Amino acid sequence: MSKQFNINELQLKYLELETLLDITNELNSFENVSILLQEILVKSCAVLNASSGLILMQNNNSDLFQIEAEFNINVEALKGTIFNKKIGFFNEVNQNHKPIYVQIVDDPFLARTNCTHGLIAPLLDKKNLLGVIVLFDKESRFGISTFDESDANMLFAIASQSGVAYNNIKLIENIKEAKTFNDNIMQSIVTGVFTTNLMGEINHVNRAAAAIINLEREMVIGNHYEYVFESNEIINQLISKCEVELETVSETQIQIDCNGKSTSVNISVSPLLNDLNEPIGSVVALEDLSNLNKLKSTFKKYVSKQIVDQLLENEDLLNLGGQEQEATILFSDIRGFTSMSETMTPKEVVETLNEYFNLMIEIIFKYNGTLDKIIGDALMVIYGAPNSTGKDTENAVLTAIEMQEKLIEFNQLRIIHSKPPITIGIGINSGKVISGNIGSRQQMNFTVIGDSVNLASRLCSVAASNEIIVSDVVWKQVKANKLLKGKKLTPVKVKGKIKPIEIKEILYHRPPFDYEQAFLKIENFLITHLPINYTYHTIDHIRDVVEQSEKIAIKENMSLAEIKDIKLAAWLHDVGYIWSPMRHEARGAEYATAILTALNLPKAKINTITGMIMATNIPQSPKNLYEQIICDADLDYLGREDYEKNSNNLLQEIQLNKKITDLEWLTIQNKFLMAHHYFTQYSQKSRKEKKHVRLKLIQKQIKAIKNGTS
Amino acid sequence: MNTFIKSVKEENQIIIIETNGYLNNEGGEAISAICYEKIKVGHHKFLINMAGTKVVNSIGVSILIEIIEKLQEVDGRIGYYNLAPIVVKTFNIMGLTKYSTVFTTEEEAVGTL
Repeated sequence: MSKQFNINELQLKYLELETLLDITNELNSFENVSILLQEILVKSCAVLNASSGLILMQNNNSDLFQIEAEFNINVEALKGTIFNKKIGFFNEVNQNHKPIYVQIVDDPFLARTNCTHGLIAPLLDKKNLLGVIVLFDKESRFGISTFDESDANMLFAIASQSGVAYNNIKLIENIKEAKTFNDNIMQSIVTGVFTTNLMGEINHVNRAAAAIINLEREMVIGNHYEYVFESNEIINQLISKCEVELETVSETQIQIDCNGKSTSVNISVSPLLNDLNEPIGSVVALEDLSNLNKLKSTFKKYVSKQIVDQLLENEDLLNLGGQEQEATILFSDIRGFTSMSETMTPKEVVETLNEYFNLMIEIIFKYNGTLDKIIGDALMVIYGAPNSTGKDTENAVLTAIEMQEKLIEFNQLRIIHSKPPITIGIGINSGKVISGNIGSRQQMNFTVIGDSVNLASRLCSVAASNEIIVSDVVWKQVKANKLLKGKKLTPVKVKGKIKPIEIKEILYHRPPFDYEQAFLKIENFLITHLPINYTYHTIDHIRDVVEQSEKIAIKENMSLAEIKDIKLAAWLHDVGYIWSPMRHEARGAEYATAILTALNLPKAKINTITGMIMATNIPQSPKNLYEQIICDADLDYLGREDYEKNSNNLLQEIQLNKKITDLEWLTIQNKFLMAHHYFTQYSQKSRKEKKHVRLKLIQKQIKAIKNGTS
Repeated sequence: MNTFIKSVKEENQIIIIETNGYLNNEGGEAISAICYEKIKVGHHKFLINMAGTKVVNSIGVSILIEIIEKLQEVDGRIGYYNLAPIVVKTFNIMGLTKYSTVFTTEEEAVGTL
């Protein structure tokens, strides 16, 4: 070997320094710990002429080392080997934090590598041992040699640099991991969160926030919040307030409009602070209430708002099981609904029940009742369970009263529209019940059971139409309320009870008959229901009869009250035409009875009204002055100037079914006028003469036609 | 054949040795064994494709120097291509590039050597 080609010590030192410099330069460029360790190991082996090497790093959760990098070594041979930092060579390095040269043969585990010499240096993070770098078998051209102090110093230098780099990478990895973790949390939480920086620019938006504000994240990031929430002044105001006051501000149940989508949210804005407690922006949390509102809305179809809120706040209330407690139970049942429904189509039955239930359930929830069940046309309602309002029995009674009162109004409309009225009986009892969720986990019903419930049901059976029957227990709890009036009824014997039960009927206000309201309702009904092809029996004719009947009644010295009844009859006298001209008076009287009963007109008056309607049947046969007045008003035009006009309208209406010649029509009129006579003094005085003139004229026309001179 | 030697071929009377792994004592001796054998049968030009060798140590370099010395005796030459930058740097520091040539590609090496 020539001298000039000999590798001298200087070159080797130069190589070592260059390698160390490379490692130092490269250390901060590694983003991954595994790559860093592998690179350190390879370069260490190369520069120190080691034949192979390992880097062992401490397990996070124990004193054991695990292989993190290997070079030119058969790691299979080390499989299952336990490297404990407190045992053997590693313990020495751990204790002294200095590199050591070892005879591998002295270590039963490292001996498995078939190497003979080793150099072990600590990888340190300040004073903590992170791991060790182990180089095996220093090579020379004359075989394997031992590592020397110079090698140890070199490796220690590399290891020291590596420890710092390892820690930096670990820190970055931890930061990235924490960021990913935070991002994942932020993205998976249902609360919408976005942050703004000191400039007011939005720098972070989670998925939920993007969905709530109905904008792509890319369209939000980097934009000023005032721009993004241009149409939501409330959000801008809250962020602005938070920026100024550096305190959390919030608003609940606000409606925001984002990109054409309106959403109900709770919003909270908090200052975002750095380590020094200095503001660096704001964090805004948006809680989307639309699903909650949907849930509440669905739930509220079954229970009152208060119960929904309680259940949403305390899920334990949803546990299966029961408890004994005081409760008041209301049963209501439609009277005669089965027979009524027989005359209706299934669709009409369902529509009627839905209309009725909607009205009733609204009242039930108003008084914090829980709708336990709908059984056919009956309702079962609980007060005081699962939670008491403190005035549950009173609420139950008030519900019953309002249900009955509301039903009067409801029936007025139904009757006006020719639908059968609905009447209900209500029974209320109060006492100990077993309440709870009964059923299975999949389907459970909150209900109450017990003797008190059964009695409430029995009382409902006892109640007649329009009645509210309560047990004596209920009455004693509510009688302090002076607005409630109870009427003692004969004790009733109910099934399952030996002794008769003391009961009370709760009296409620039934509004007096309102004539003006009735006139209006009937007039509207006539306008919308009279056949449009009628030319005589029109709303104009009815209005005329109403006007004339009032005029005649005044002239006949009827009292104001009597005049009202006459006018009522006038409004109703032709209502039967809505259904058929045949026997229209009887149909009208039937309708009048129903509607006037529902409107709470006394029965005697109803009889007077229906008598008047029936009296208009031709030939008119009035039995009293009321009937005389309505009859004269109905045919008042016979003695008026506008006879011709009315007559033509009538002819046109008759001709809808039958063609009539002029002569025939004149003959009909002649016959009719001859037979007719006014009954009241006023009509006889004011209309008889003109009617006579009209009759003569008609007779003259008939004669002319017959003579061929018309 | 040692796993360090991936392949050996001849092209234009040049022996091309492809290596794989750590060029240390063991790897160096595997190369020298081939070179000495080929020199005996009259080959004087050698190329080493070091695409698979990313690490060398000074012992590996020493062996390459020994091969160069042997080739000087027969007026032979040796060159290398597909070297990793760190290997080039090591060859430079160890003075190897003064007595042998580093090429970029096989074509360049075969054409020049």
